[in-house]
Amino acid sequence: MKDGFVRLALLLALASGVFWCWHYLFPGPELLIRKQLAQLALAASISPNEAPLARLAKAQRLAELFARDAQVNVEVPGRADQTFSGREEVQQAALGARALLSTLQVTFVDVNVTLAANKHSAITHLTATADMPGERLPEVEELEIGFTNVDNAWLINKVQTVKTLR
Amino acid sequence: MPTEVQDQPKPGLVRRALIGRSPRLTLLRVVIWIVAIFALRTYALLPIRVEGVSMLPTYKENRINFVNCLAYAFHPPQRGDVVAIRYAGRSIMLCKRIVGLPDEVVAFHNGHIEINGKVLDEPYVKTRCNWEHPPKRLGTNEYYVVGDNRSMEFEAHTQGIADRDRIVGRILL
Repeated sequence: MKDGFVRLALLLALASGVFWCWHYLFPGPELLIRKQLAQLALAASISPNEAPLARLAKAQRLAELFARDAQVNVEVPGRADQTFSGREEVQQAALGARALLSTLQVTFVDVNVTLAANKHSAITHLTATADMPGERLPEVEELEIGFTNVDNAWLINKVQTVKTLR
Repeated sequence: MPTEVQDQPKPGLVRRALIGRSPRLTLLRVVIWIVAIFALRTYALLPIRVEGVSMLPTYKENRINFVNCLAYAFHPPQRGDVVAIRYAGRSIMLCKRIVGLPDEVVAFHNGHIEINGKVLDEPYVKTRCNWEHPPKRLGTNEYYVVGDNRSMEFEAHTQGIADRDRIVGRILL
């Protein structure tokens, strides 16, 4: 009886190990999109005392996450609406933000990924928080981020704010 | 003739206090407790920490509270209820008071809330303001929510129409 339990436990551990390895080596679209979002949060954040070259590199890395025809429309209450078209404008905006802000900490929580039936595009809904210098509380916005699969890479083609309260 | 039970060494006092007389039964109790707490925390009582000043003086900052997720299982949200409104999920939520119910017309005039043209009595509001906002008609599944702190600027105060499916539950305390 005891041996049976040990065998079962070992079998379960082995199965979960194989499952984990499979997902690590061959990640599905949802996992890849979540990784891209993590990269986006990282590239959008600004660390204190960032060197000019590092600023440029991070802005470039941020732009590379977007498709060439990406549309960004972010409305933050009390601030001017931000609208960009294309990768170049996204990069310019990222550089502009880095020139204005000394630090910025961007995080994404409650990420929900919905894949299209053809598995070539996806829509994600998430809550974005931005810790800005001089602000006591982080700015919180709900975002809808669209992804498209271009040459086996998931790129952002749309970013827009969702109005939680209208 | 000594019995089998008498032959076994008695478990120590500390072990008995920690594990009990029957380790299997204790393990089962622990599992039941973990499942019950997880279910309670996920589906019934969601712990929250209040941040921000929009619900002053009713809810002070950093106060720990709970959201009763089952509050509206059998009846719709009521006027005056303080509710949690989700963004994309439940990690970060807004804490607001319901002032307008479905199909009503909500407006701000001279700092007072008007529901269908009549001034709403709000004993929980301690600071008056001069907010002005044109009438808004609510849809069938829409509620108007606002914070208790009216000393803020209208533009700086997050308030507006929330869909029913965004209301997670009622703030417990």
